[in-house]
Amino acid sequence: MNRVSKAVSFRSNTVKALNDPSLRAAMRHATSTFGKKRADGIGDNPFEEWREKASEIRMNVLKNLEQYVDMFAQNATKAGSIVHRAKDSHTACDIVASVLRDHRVDKVVKSKSMITEEIHLNSYLEQSGIKVVETDLGEYIIQIAGETPSHIIAPAIHKSRQQVGQLFCDKLGCEYSDDPTILTKIARSVLRQEFLTAPAGISGSNFAIAETGSISLVTNEGNGRMVTTLPPLHVAVTSIEKILPKVSDLALFLRLLPRSATGQVLSSYFSLITGARKAGESSGAHQLHIVLLDNGRAEISKGEFKEILKCVRCGACMNICPVYGLIGGHAYDSTYPGPMGVILSSLLDGLDRTHPLLDASTLCGACSDVCPVKVPLAKLINQLRQKKVELGLASMLETIGMTGFGIAVEHPRLFEFLQRAANRVWPLAGFIDAKVSDRLPRPVASSFKRRVS
Amino acid sequence: MKNEAIIQLFIENAAKVAANPIKVANTKEMNSELAKIIENDGNIFLRKKTYCEKAVRLPKERIVSDYLDAAFTIEQVDGAIAETGSIICSSLNGRAVQSSVLPIHHIAIVKADTIYETLDDFFGNFPEAPPTNITLITGPSRTADIELTLTIGIHGPEKLSIIVL
Repeated sequence: MNRVSKAVSFRSNTVKALNDPSLRAAMRHATSTFGKKRADGIGDNPFEEWREKASEIRMNVLKNLEQYVDMFAQNATKAGSIVHRAKDSHTACDIVASVLRDHRVDKVVKSKSMITEEIHLNSYLEQSGIKVVETDLGEYIIQIAGETPSHIIAPAIHKSRQQVGQLFCDKLGCEYSDDPTILTKIARSVLRQEFLTAPAGISGSNFAIAETGSISLVTNEGNGRMVTTLPPLHVAVTSIEKILPKVSDLALFLRLLPRSATGQVLSSYFSLITGARKAGESSGAHQLHIVLLDNGRAEISKGEFKEILKCVRCGACMNICPVYGLIGGHAYDSTYPGPMGVILSSLLDGLDRTHPLLDASTLCGACSDVCPVKVPLAKLINQLRQKKVELGLASMLETIGMTGFGIAVEHPRLFEFLQRAANRVWPLAGFIDAKVSDRLPRPVASSFKRRVS
Repeated sequence: MKNEAIIQLFIENAAKVAANPIKVANTKEMNSELAKIIENDGNIFLRKKTYCEKAVRLPKERIVSDYLDAAFTIEQVDGAIAETGSIICSSLNGRAVQSSVLPIHHIAIVKADTIYETLDDFFGNFPEAPPTNITLITGPSRTADIELTLTIGIHGPEKLSIIVL
């Protein structure tokens, strides 16, 4: 685990985000568009039945994680891949860097991968003198802007077309345009050269298949296909929980993932890659390295929060979250934002860093309802809040307030006294701070108990 | 489901994802459709390995042996999936799957008897040792990374055409 003691400044990040009109507009547009597309994609399909089955398959993998990881590693090796195990971020980065150094690689093209964001691979490689070119359009935009993704499937969702146009104009020296079609064409021509000249490609993997040792990529742009087929060397980084037992499981997961993410029946490209190029073949890298990252997951899979590892990274929970929809992904200051991000980040980074993020939920439960693998997100956030209190990480004011409330509800007379007092004091609240009096509910004139007795 | 119904479902679903499917009765019809599709200028990558590929009649001077020089790739693919309107490309028989992602226009010939009805039918009948690369292609290359505005043709083909024979 990457324990960092300094807590996320979530409150001030939130205030900053809420005061950014351009971000607010972008987020409003994004979450409503995503929501509508998902609803259309689900349509009248038997979503409940699918997610029930998918949840079962994922739970089975997590219960037998060690066996599945071994099976995957064995079969991947048999298929001609070179498998590495990494217990933490640093080891994973080090493995990737040394593979690239062994091949004298000075530049890599990358397809979108949240795992490589989690381990901060790009900065590690840049420090080792290896140039990294992100090729997913959204990732490319934020890379040249020097930012981090604000959404797990749409990394540049926080940017307006005007901002992207200005960025391309400044960084690429092209003429200003805010037409997405023109901007897309510009990126296409710049990145095409990178694909054709890069000696190595780095990808993640949406699903890893235990019975065949295959990795797989679900993409729309085609960059994933280029990264994994054009350069002679391919390094795939994946975390251990992404395993599915059988190839036949893909049918179900390919029905659920694109629909939950973008509302598509299927993304433009799905590639299943099994080993490196074999004799007589003209496809695939000549060498495929697979880095299997643990980073605390084996431990998480044994504990009370294991269900978060069922997550397939579709982003549906953030698209529906009323908090994420207002503040966007950067306010979370963590690799993974939104409901799944609050939970996973807390487990990966430790609550001492992430505990303020637990406020980023209304516990409305909408995230749990849309999750294609039935991760009980709201329940897990609630459990983490309890942990937070147990660990003494709750704020002093909250602790005093809750302790006081606890005493009051245990003593009916005290409760009634306080209620009457609150009614008397209430008119004064407006003088102290209008913000408080506007938002707090007015105390009731007479208690329910009094009215019925 | 009967074969005819599966073909029909595939064509409907492929049309929904802008994959321009068309059913032809014989290789003569296939060639006249191909002639229309490649009307504009541009080199064509064609391997002439399979029966359908060998039946393709095109101006020789436009055919190139390297997909990197091509604006079009014409190939017979391994099959299709009716449920999703996808075509199946693989590295079997020495095929380079990257030849269908680099050119601006990908033209796929699907033999009607290689269309699976559902994803389960396809993934459920998988070889124990799969080829290095199997790719399902569902429509042209697309992105929505700028303001979620759909834009066709980011890195892969701007256009996909499917001929069912």
